[in-house]
Amino acid sequence: MTVLTTPAQPDQGKNLRPVPWRRMAWVTWRQHRFAIGGVTAFLGVLALYLLIEGLPIRSAYAAVTACHPASSAVCQSLANNFNTGSYTFQAGIVSALLQVTAALIGAFAGAPVLARELESGTFRYAWTQGFGPRRWAAAKLALLAVAVAAVAAAFSVMFSWYYEPFFASGAQTPLGSTLFDLRGIAFAAWTLAAFTIGAVAGVLIRRVVPAMAATIVAWAGLAYVTGTYLRPHYEAPLVTANPNMPGSAWVIGQWWARGGRPASLSALNQVLRPVGLRAATAGRFQVFGSHLGNFNPVQYLVRHGFTQMTSYQPASRFWTFQFIEAGWLLALSLLLVAATVWLVRRRAA
Amino acid sequence: MTMLTTPAQPGQHTPRPVPWSKLAWVSWRQYRVALLSAASLLGVLALYLLIMGLRIRTGYASVASCPQLGSRLPHTCEAALMLFGGYHVWGETTAALLMALPMLIGAFAGAPILGRELEAGTFRFSWTQGAGRTRWALARLALPAVTVTAVAAVLSQLFGWFYYPFFATGDSALAPQLFEQTGIAFAAWTLAAFAIGTLAGVLIRKVVPAIAAAMAAWAGLLLITSLYLRRLYQAPLNLHNGGHGASGASPWVISQWWTGPNGKTITTENKIISLLNRPERGYTQWTTYEPGTRYWHFQFIEGAWLLALSVLLIAAAIWLIRRRAA
Repeated sequence: MTVLTTPAQPDQGKNLRPVPWRRMAWVTWRQHRFAIGGVTAFLGVLALYLLIEGLPIRSAYAAVTACHPASSAVCQSLANNFNTGSYTFQAGIVSALLQVTAALIGAFAGAPVLARELESGTFRYAWTQGFGPRRWAAAKLALLAVAVAAVAAAFSVMFSWYYEPFFASGAQTPLGSTLFDLRGIAFAAWTLAAFTIGAVAGVLIRRVVPAMAATIVAWAGLAYVTGTYLRPHYEAPLVTANPNMPGSAWVIGQWWARGGRPASLSALNQVLRPVGLRAATAGRFQVFGSHLGNFNPVQYLVRHGFTQMTSYQPASRFWTFQFIEAGWLLALSLLLVAATVWLVRRRAA
Repeated sequence: MTMLTTPAQPGQHTPRPVPWSKLAWVSWRQYRVALLSAASLLGVLALYLLIMGLRIRTGYASVASCPQLGSRLPHTCEAALMLFGGYHVWGETTAALLMALPMLIGAFAGAPILGRELEAGTFRFSWTQGAGRTRWALARLALPAVTVTAVAAVLSQLFGWFYYPFFATGDSALAPQLFEQTGIAFAAWTLAAFAIGTLAGVLIRKVVPAIAAAMAAWAGLLLITSLYLRRLYQAPLNLHNGGHGASGASPWVISQWWTGPNGKTITTENKIISLLNRPERGYTQWTTYEPGTRYWHFQFIEGAWLLALSVLLIAAAIWLIRRRAA
């Protein structure tokens, strides 16, 4: 131990060659191969499930597209059956359940990276080696983050393939909250964000299991706020008076207007009173299905000089929104990694 | 350390075992942060269910107050129904997301209790104290097990209240995704996740892999149960051509198929679609279903076997602990 307490010679350290980065890559792989393998296996099993479920969906959709003439009653009912039947229901549940995937990857792969070293005390050894704590943390986080994001990107290609038939029919919006974040580049970005949230939670909390729980909670909060409040406003929504919106548009809000100004609830109810109708809100007044018989309250209000206004995001903005969301998530991830490395350095000092 | 190696005098002392209340206090001290943070999170969830539930029930009240026949104001009811219909998506999404909750609560609460002691080596200290390792393990497991089960029970009652209007308007409480979230099944599934987590912690002896294994095992068990096992609790009924017979609680429709005049099943999708358009003679539509009236029967069956499984898994974990350091 005397070697450690020898005063350092000023010029001596200059000649020490730092440990090369590629060695660090090898150490990272050795230490985290189970985490990387686990994430790959987990998403692989899910991808296999999507493949098995996706094949009958595609063959059913092929039957819809092959059916002609498309306007015939049989073809219409075949298409209708596909769009409202059990496949759509099943795919909706699958996409809802897949929402937790990114959070789980962040919790299991991201949180332990530094929390385990801090919890078990091995950081005292690892951070005093020639490589230095900052480079140690940065190398591990960068390599794992790239690996996790790459696997997630491959998985989201698989999910897009699985879900494609439901978009092809034009009845669903690709901007909807449980679909947008699983497709394109958004899923990789969300997984990356979950991973870096896990890393920063690990270095802050310093215990693996609480850091994992905190990661899931923080990710869920971020995803909820994004889907509900941020995503609808990436670009100013379009406003239309056309009541027949395409199914692929993402409707943000609806209200009634008269003479170019929004109509109040009492103004609506004043007109509706003679027919015994009462609107509950001045906003959403949607017709679900066509089970209203001969009477259509929407047409009734239109005849009385009201206009139904809809604000929406067209499906053509999908890739713009993808790049916006992936862009800020990437910036957030870089910020979190920088914060993690800074915290590691402060702690090791 | 010499005290420990002194041979015990047979009749000399039978030390009073550490009382359970002391053990409960230790349990509380060790878990209070986890318990309180989990409780506050679930409180937020409960608040969400309460706020949404009030809106849904208000919407339903205006539907339910509609006179069914001979109404002079039929449009009011249509409008109320339309507004109420918009809530259904929320209800379904909430139900789907709630499905993951027992897994998260159970695995995060169950796996670390014994797994952490084994991983960190603290079991060498704690198991050799006056309490004895069986009593120690029981005391540490009992409080969290009862707590997570009770919290799950309260949440599922709240969810049942939140979802009640949709059950009243046609959703089947027996259907997968709703059956597990209501009645006593939700609490039982949470306890099962906790027990699976506990055993995984003892077997794997590392917390994080144990949590992952517990989640995977629990999800697999749930999938197998809802896809294959549940319909075996009582043989489903078959009906041909038309409605489900019984009124009241909606049935869980397991499958529907057509048979031709020769009694054989028709499998071509196009053929079925054309049959739906213009029913031909000799073709029969069959429905396999579980009547909605079997709900509580099924709940008790599922609750009972999950409880038995949980007790068995926790007993196995304690048995492994007794054997290990013996």
